[in-house]
Amino acid sequence: MAAIGDDVFFATIPELNAHLKAKDFSAEELTRAFVDRLQQYGPRYNALALLLHQEALRKAREVDQDLKRGRLRGPLQGIPYGAKDLISYAGQPTTWGAKPYAGQVFDYSATVVEKLDAAGSVITGKLSTVELAGGGGYTRASASLTGPGLNPWDRTKWSGGSSSGPAAAVAAGLVPFAIGSETSGSIVTPASFCGVTALRPTYGLVSRHGAMALSWTLDKLGPFGRSAEDCGLILQVIAGKDAKDAGSAGKSFYYTPQYARPMKDIKIGYIPVDFTDRAEPSARAAFAAAIAVLKDTGAQLVETKLPQFPYGPILSLILNAEMGSIFEPLITSGKVDQLADPPQIAGLKASLSVPAKDYLKAMRIRRQIQQEYSRYFSEVDIILAPGRSGPAVAANADLDAPGYTPPEGTGPGTQGIVQAGNLAGLPALVLPCGLADNLPVALQLVGLPFSENLLLAVGKEFQGRTDFHRRRPKL
Amino acid sequence: MKLTRRELTAALLAPAAVAQTPQIAADPVQAARDRIKTNGDILAKIEIPMDLEPAVTFKA
Repeated sequence: MAAIGDDVFFATIPELNAHLKAKDFSAEELTRAFVDRLQQYGPRYNALALLLHQEALRKAREVDQDLKRGRLRGPLQGIPYGAKDLISYAGQPTTWGAKPYAGQVFDYSATVVEKLDAAGSVITGKLSTVELAGGGGYTRASASLTGPGLNPWDRTKWSGGSSSGPAAAVAAGLVPFAIGSETSGSIVTPASFCGVTALRPTYGLVSRHGAMALSWTLDKLGPFGRSAEDCGLILQVIAGKDAKDAGSAGKSFYYTPQYARPMKDIKIGYIPVDFTDRAEPSARAAFAAAIAVLKDTGAQLVETKLPQFPYGPILSLILNAEMGSIFEPLITSGKVDQLADPPQIAGLKASLSVPAKDYLKAMRIRRQIQQEYSRYFSEVDIILAPGRSGPAVAANADLDAPGYTPPEGTGPGTQGIVQAGNLAGLPALVLPCGLADNLPVALQLVGLPFSENLLLAVGKEFQGRTDFHRRRPKL
Repeated sequence: MKLTRRELTAALLAPAAVAQTPQIAADPVQAARDRIKTNGDILAKIEIPMDLEPAVTFKA
């Protein structure tokens, strides 16, 4: 058996696949190594909600039998992964990161878990989440049953949220990939802070059946992986029509890098101030170098301007109204007071007061936003923005406190792109692009609905010229 | 009254329009309700066509 060391723990899906095909080790040996690593290091970053030790080994043995019999199921066969603990796994606790649901057990697994199981992937654990995905408005990283998500690059820093565990676990090589979720920033932020490639898919592309609902019209599940290519391979498995998800777009996804458009034919819109005055000073050099790399690919980088809407208030009203309805029993029963974060408790209680007229007005303006972005993407193919304006914040920070403030008079840049992208259901790919104060920073590429192959193609080209997605924190 | 682009942008950047504030409010639930109302007031000023439907569709 080949030694299972860091080169394996930080390998991409194709690399792991090659090892399994070459019989360098069995699926069981690989799983055992990752389970042990997750058990050992997961708690160090508060990334582990529940280890699925026996379940993982049982599945891995099945995979080995399949491989022995030539029953090949694709590149994810035998690959371990973790799932954010708002995604159900039958018969085991799914806590939603929240004390009132600490003992909650579903008798069915989420559709994404079933699809990954059918592809031969091996779930090794549930990964930590901010309580109830943070929808009520949390102000501390400690807003979680598992404590504050800690960053593998610097444990005094926050991993980001609400997909804290998925981001940290992939960054630290505890799982080759993970499934997280985003309503408004919960994939983009932790991926940026932890230096991990991640994909927020088009709304409706991936079934949410079996995942906690925070906001029906905003929630998406998506992969965290070692590379853009890994995210494409994972999305191919987890995407697709699901009658059990009312928001399902009814579309499949096939990862087709072989049909990627020439880079010279791709127009990427960006706003320079995002990477200068609006960026934290420590991050500007990394951003500048990343933009230079993108220019070198031959892609056309053009200055742009986003459609202007009050994205924050619109998203907030929609999220509050839907979240309030979903969690009404929690709120009216008083169990909401068991949550860890007082502002989150207050936000949830207040969410019951959204007038119907305001929710409907927000949803009507949302249609205008969709229409505007549809028109906007006739001018550019992709929007380029920072994942976050700087590196991870301190783990004990007040998340509401103003951080870096751009000079007065600085234009808005792509401020609001996360809210806009989520309101319009747009996909986004997060690409680690450098270090600032020895902490990762990242870019995000945002595209039209169902343009994931385009985003992944640009991501793959960028990652072919850089190595930030392969860098490893010292554990 | 139709909001100008400048007024929309100011509303977007106004601290009151953001969901949270850094100060600890005397009544955090009322403060959260006030933010919801402020967000509603911002949207109320935006004129939209009467026939613009919400971005959800019911199908029988």
